[in-house]
Amino acid sequence: MYMKRIIYFTVVVFVIVQTTSCSKNSLNVSPTDQFSDASVWKDASLIQTFVNNIYDGIPMGFSNIMMASYSDESMYNADFGTSNVTKSLITPSDLSLFDSKYWTSNRTRQMNWEWGYKFIRAANVFFSKIESAPVDDAVKKEYKGEVHFLRAFLYHNLVSVYGGVPIITKAYTLEDSFAVPRNTYADCIDFITSECDSAALLLPLTQSTADLGRATKGAALALKSRVLLYAASDFYNDASWASGYGHPELISYVGGDRVARWQAAKDAAKAVIDLGAYSLYQPSPASAADAQKNYGDIFLQTGTSEDIFLKYFTIKFNWNWDGYNPGLYNQPNGYHCWGSNTPLGQLVDAYEMSDGTKFDWTNPTQAANPYLNRDPRFYASILYEGAQWRQRPADISPSDPQGIIQTAFWEKWNGTTSSMDVIAGLDTRKSPFENWNGTYSGYYLKKFIDPTIDAQNFKQTQPWRHIRYSEILLNYAEACIALNQEAEAKTYINMIRTRAYMPDITESGQALVDRYRHERQIEMAYEDQRFFDVRRWLIADKAYTDAMGVEPRYKMDPTTHITATTPTYTVIDIQERAWNPRFYLLPISLDEINRNNKLIQNPLY
Amino acid sequence: MSFLFINNNQKLRMKKSSTTCRRMEWLKHQLRQHFTKKMLQPFIMILLLHACFVNVFAQSKTITGMVRNDKGEPMPAVSVTLKGSRAATSANSDGRFSIDVPNGKGTLVFTYVGFAAKEISINNKTVIDVQLETEEARKLDEVVVVGYGTTKKATLTGAVSVVKGKEVLQSPATNVSNSLVGRLPGLVATQPSGEPGYDGSTIRIRGVNTTGNNDALVVVDGIPGRSLERIDPNSIESITILKDASAAIYGAQAANGVILITTKRGKTGKPEITLNTNYGYNQPTVLPKMADAPTYATMMNEIALYNGSPALYTDDDIKKYKDGSDPWGHPNTDWFKATLKPRSSQYATNVSLSGGNESTRYFVSIGYKHQDGNYYHSGTFYNQPDFRSNLDARISKYISVGFDLAGRLEDRNYPTRGAGDIFRMVQRGKPNLPAYWPNGLPGPDIEYGNNPVVISTDATGYNKDKYYALNSNLKLNIIIPWVKGLSITGNAGIDKGFDFIKLWQTPWYLYTWDGTSYDANNQPVLVKGKRGFDAPQLTETFKTDQQVVLNALINYEHTFGQDHAIKVLVGSEKREGKGENFNAFRQYYVSPSIDQLFAGGSLGKDNNGSAYINERLNYFGRVNYSYKEKYLAEFVWRYDGSYIFPEDHRFGFFPGVSLGWRVSEENFWKNNVTIIDNFKLRASWGQTGNDRIAEWQYLSTYAYGSFFDDPSANPPVYWYIPFVTNGSTENQTLYETRIPNPNATWELATQRNIGFEATLLRNKLSVEFDYFDYLRSKILAKKNASVPLSTGLILPLENIGKVSNKGFEFVVSYKDRVGDFNYQVSVNGSYARNKILFWDEAPGRPEYQRSTGKSIPTDPINNPDNNLYYQAIGVFEDQAAVDKYAHWSGARAGDIIFKDANGDGVIDGNDRVRNDKTNIPRFVGGLSINLQYKGFDLSVLMQGATGAVNYISTESGEIGDYLQSFAKDRWTPDHTKANTPRTFNRTNEYYVSQRNTFWLRKTDYLRLKTFQVGYSIPPKAIHKTGIQNIRIYISGFNVFTYSPDYKDFDPEASGGDGHSYPLQKVLTAGLSLTF
Repeated sequence: MYMKRIIYFTVVVFVIVQTTSCSKNSLNVSPTDQFSDASVWKDASLIQTFVNNIYDGIPMGFSNIMMASYSDESMYNADFGTSNVTKSLITPSDLSLFDSKYWTSNRTRQMNWEWGYKFIRAANVFFSKIESAPVDDAVKKEYKGEVHFLRAFLYHNLVSVYGGVPIITKAYTLEDSFAVPRNTYADCIDFITSECDSAALLLPLTQSTADLGRATKGAALALKSRVLLYAASDFYNDASWASGYGHPELISYVGGDRVARWQAAKDAAKAVIDLGAYSLYQPSPASAADAQKNYGDIFLQTGTSEDIFLKYFTIKFNWNWDGYNPGLYNQPNGYHCWGSNTPLGQLVDAYEMSDGTKFDWTNPTQAANPYLNRDPRFYASILYEGAQWRQRPADISPSDPQGIIQTAFWEKWNGTTSSMDVIAGLDTRKSPFENWNGTYSGYYLKKFIDPTIDAQNFKQTQPWRHIRYSEILLNYAEACIALNQEAEAKTYINMIRTRAYMPDITESGQALVDRYRHERQIEMAYEDQRFFDVRRWLIADKAYTDAMGVEPRYKMDPTTHITATTPTYTVIDIQERAWNPRFYLLPISLDEINRNNKLIQNPLY
Repeated sequence: MSFLFINNNQKLRMKKSSTTCRRMEWLKHQLRQHFTKKMLQPFIMILLLHACFVNVFAQSKTITGMVRNDKGEPMPAVSVTLKGSRAATSANSDGRFSIDVPNGKGTLVFTYVGFAAKEISINNKTVIDVQLETEEARKLDEVVVVGYGTTKKATLTGAVSVVKGKEVLQSPATNVSNSLVGRLPGLVATQPSGEPGYDGSTIRIRGVNTTGNNDALVVVDGIPGRSLERIDPNSIESITILKDASAAIYGAQAANGVILITTKRGKTGKPEITLNTNYGYNQPTVLPKMADAPTYATMMNEIALYNGSPALYTDDDIKKYKDGSDPWGHPNTDWFKATLKPRSSQYATNVSLSGGNESTRYFVSIGYKHQDGNYYHSGTFYNQPDFRSNLDARISKYISVGFDLAGRLEDRNYPTRGAGDIFRMVQRGKPNLPAYWPNGLPGPDIEYGNNPVVISTDATGYNKDKYYALNSNLKLNIIIPWVKGLSITGNAGIDKGFDFIKLWQTPWYLYTWDGTSYDANNQPVLVKGKRGFDAPQLTETFKTDQQVVLNALINYEHTFGQDHAIKVLVGSEKREGKGENFNAFRQYYVSPSIDQLFAGGSLGKDNNGSAYINERLNYFGRVNYSYKEKYLAEFVWRYDGSYIFPEDHRFGFFPGVSLGWRVSEENFWKNNVTIIDNFKLRASWGQTGNDRIAEWQYLSTYAYGSFFDDPSANPPVYWYIPFVTNGSTENQTLYETRIPNPNATWELATQRNIGFEATLLRNKLSVEFDYFDYLRSKILAKKNASVPLSTGLILPLENIGKVSNKGFEFVVSYKDRVGDFNYQVSVNGSYARNKILFWDEAPGRPEYQRSTGKSIPTDPINNPDNNLYYQAIGVFEDQAAVDKYAHWSGARAGDIIFKDANGDGVIDGNDRVRNDKTNIPRFVGGLSINLQYKGFDLSVLMQGATGAVNYISTESGEIGDYLQSFAKDRWTPDHTKANTPRTFNRTNEYYVSQRNTFWLRKTDYLRLKTFQVGYSIPPKAIHKTGIQNIRIYISGFNVFTYSPDYKDFDPEASGGDGHSYPLQKVLTAGLSLTF
């Protein structure tokens, strides 16, 4: 009996031994949540998803801290370190909001070297694999076109903040040696334009409906236009700001034919125009009101005839907390929103009067009624004291049933205490509602914001426009001015002005240059242009001056105790700013220089 | 302590019954001596019956004998009982005893305080002489659980520490991982959070050994990977930690030490029911003191002053904040007080039943625990019902089976905003805003609707996480009768877990006053605002995980001749884990009244799911040799295979050797050294592997998601960033997860240990000391410090790192008694210091910034440079001081002076200096005192640590309040000779955004970790109730803390930002009953 049991149970134990020992192959486990290299590079659909990811490398402008807040367009009201940027305090040890790991600011973090090269590697991996991938040539051609375009864009982003960077086109393996020197600025521009050309050759003129949002021939040519315009600009042809710097070739052209550069820039813009694929949205409005609506609508639609390259969103898009939610970020605190990128007095004052003259606080009529008769684009872009905006949230609505922006203070006589009370507007920094989100400047952003959506709870989905046709027209005009083709330039500038229901400009010479620059500032406000424009025009010293705002106050007559029905405006200094020429370019981080001894730091750092 | 107490109690109980019996025995003896005539027998019998009714019904047999102590001297008053019956007596003044035993069968139990109980089977003998050993001496015979078996403490050759379940029970903490620090030399712990359900300690055995994963392997009843935290402390028999080469038998994952938990099993005897219940409260150990409203308003004005903008608050405002004359417009709120109640309840109850006979034994236990959160109307609480059933059966003389089943429900309940959000808001709460309005309605929003007094309740919906764990184990042991000493064991453990998480997020309401509107009664008009979400939304998640462990062991034990004992163990083990999960989401619920998926809107509904699998296969063995239990040797090995590594590098061989010499067994010692009773020297060397690294390093793989995801973060971070086309079509994105490292293989731990154990003064004093020298090589680390970012590479882990870790441990304990007063004092301490010998480092880095040669940073993988600090050497008194010394660009009076460490006249990144200390203390010690006097007992554990630092970083400024410790001595234009800088605004000032030593604080502490005072009701008072034992007690945890340099937060907590749930102080009163 015992024996039988012992034998029986011994068998059981040996079965266990067998199962545990004879199964070395069971250790060959494959991941359940990842794709193998082999499965990706034979499957056209997976390759497409790989390409899709590279699009993420082009930073979009709708992060909580917008690029506008790094120049003279706006002020980020919670600071979050932006004041270190606007005081030019960035150093190789402290890249602050440009650090790839900074806790916020997706837009600027992504301009960092680290993110740029991560996506560039993805493009390089693609090129190393695509030729041998068993997929249709037509498909291959399309994908290659997209990736050439994306790689061009990624390098453009790096070059526009660092100057010349190492051009890396190989997909490194662990065995490679990694130390590489920076390429010259000229090399980089040549490389980027050739990538644009390759892309333009491979890409279709338009994408099918389902693929809208992917790169097109037009996008590639438009990018080339931007790149060549930048390259022809003052900054890249005059390194005197960095006198004494041993390697001017890293940050600018050294010698060569600048006229040819302008010509190339002009040709590149013209090539886009000549495609005939794009046109201004509503180019000839019937009234100022139409113009205001048209300009606002460009940014509130999913697509217009102006769109060349854009990034779409859905409500499910979920990055970190400053990923995509322009309505929540930018509407006033009196709407339970964050009032993030508040327009500066400098930008607001730059909007012309509707007759094309300059606005001026020293003009008593204008100062008394500053928001009367301004450029229609002003009303489509800026929220100011007394501006009609959307219905307030239910709990705030009783305080303001009409939804009118209140950035003012009211002086009111208090009969009970026999003294004057100062009542703060709902959207001020003394508002009863989340006043720490209130504006310092007295303004809020209206451009891009969908007024139909209660942004405290819901997201809008309007796309970010990386490149739109207006920019190309302005690029073309800028090159023409430089080539002394002023009439041609004015024709194109005035196309933009006509659409805005603004009178034509007629100046020439330096006055024309100034009007052009001003036009670009207004038309492209908050579209991630200004940061680069003030640098390439070498006017950053004028852009990084103290931030200005306005304080509207409905004053009380001390004798009658009657509160005025119109406010008195006081221009106020809201934030200290400072310019240091080294901030024309970003520094390469100290850590990266420690890793790669062939790198040469940018000037003045 | 309570161990002693029970013994004593048994003694008392026996005394009661045996005093009468003893007299009877004496009488019987006399009668036998003098009245042997038959006529007297009935009389005697009646007498006996009357006096000692217990014994008389059966035909009994008298057993006599002599009890001696360890020195061979007769011992009086030793209790002698018949196991499982009430028959009892005690030895007389000559050490003699006599007891009547029915049928002459059973087992006699001899007990005496300070001596180990001894059981002797009667086996038809009539004379039984015994010798009792003191408990200390007995300890040497004690069996210690080691890898895949047990061994006698006397012959142990490894560095092993043991704590008994009873000692763990002295702590009222429900999470066992919090009860170990200070108890076990070599064990270091920090606690990230005190939140019910997530209050586990991070345990490090002998400190930090690798830049990678430092977690110890937890093995419960032979099965790895089970929970240390959630096991019921009442069911723990003992916890053993293997610290040196003795862990090598666990190979993979054992490199950081092994924690072995053994649960209780039934013992032969009548059924015993034990009830242990306690009820008490918990509260935060330390809460920071924040600046009050007038101080905060003043500081806001300072920010405005420094920015050149107008002051926000008038003097009148500040006066009103101070005097409280305007509670509506000028409140002065203490957010901690407003959100946290003074104390929250917690209780734990456990009932166990154990017993058995020759063929079956059982231990069955059920328990329930509850911990309430610290918030008023807390949405946070934790419940845990659990059970365990350990059964043993002897099928035959040669075959025995064990079957264990344990289950529990970890029922975690939280508000929909996490503790991080809640405490972040409590810390940030501005003292000049109301938490509640004076009429009792909740105050206004802070951000995202996060008013902590509301989001800490169930007003925001709920987040219920119910995790069901079921652990089972079937063990079969066969003694092979043909070969003496040979047995084989098969073991199959199946652990299964089910997790249901239901996140029901509903809108909530906050109230705002515009500061000007009053109603007809002149009361302020509050406006009710909906916050959080416009409509309810529901996420339901279901996860399942499974682990199957199969092992088979062959044991052989034999003693050759008299002196050569040999033990051999060979085994193989297979471990497989897998799991799946999915979740579903709906939003736009029309009403919050039905919280089920079907009731949600169909717009935006979503779902997701994934799975994982892992496999490990190992062969292992151990050989023990002992010569006369004097010379000891052990060899262990493990041949380990893990799915983590590529096929060519999959298996690793890890051997270990340890030697012991019981010097006190030598004659020269025995004859010459009398003061030291036992002395053993031991030494070990071993290697273990570590495969705890991210999976698939050897594969080139691609994953859905984006580069912005961070799967290696803790917890992993995943975003949803689809590539959208045509305005609304979401397309997947695929990214290269890393470049592969086809050579990834085992991280290797080489461990050397030398130590001694001794008992002195007739075993009253025991001393143990260990010195260790560990070397971890082939550490899997990334070369991201030297590989330029321009490569764009997402680097794999490579076997490049090398770390040394050295230290020592000691335990000294003394135990004695004076009359009825028993005491035991024990001191232990452990010191460990690690040093990076090699890892990847940027080549251009100056010496004082290099981490090589210094301690492993607190967060070596993600933030190795967090240990680089600017050296704060004071505060610029005025502008002249700024101008005089190199300074950060933009520095002004009142800012912190950063030392120009490299003397180049510029303050930049090169002036950061690496700090060698981390948040893991270098030295941890414990002092435990156990006292017992008659029915009273007291146990105390003092615990302390030194050598750790923490970095203070609160979110302060316009965004939130300041620590009062900062505010009170800050620089202002009127107070320029300050040690604390001027008021900062969030991270805008360089001395906040740049890590510097101003914020770095020592966390050295000493605390009353646990205490317990108990009283046992004299058995006399209860013996009629059928209850053997009643004890009432009060116990405390983290009762008192002294940490001179770290006062704002708990020194054991891992973070200094005040955003995590604070650690808990617990006080409970309890009752234990044994039937």
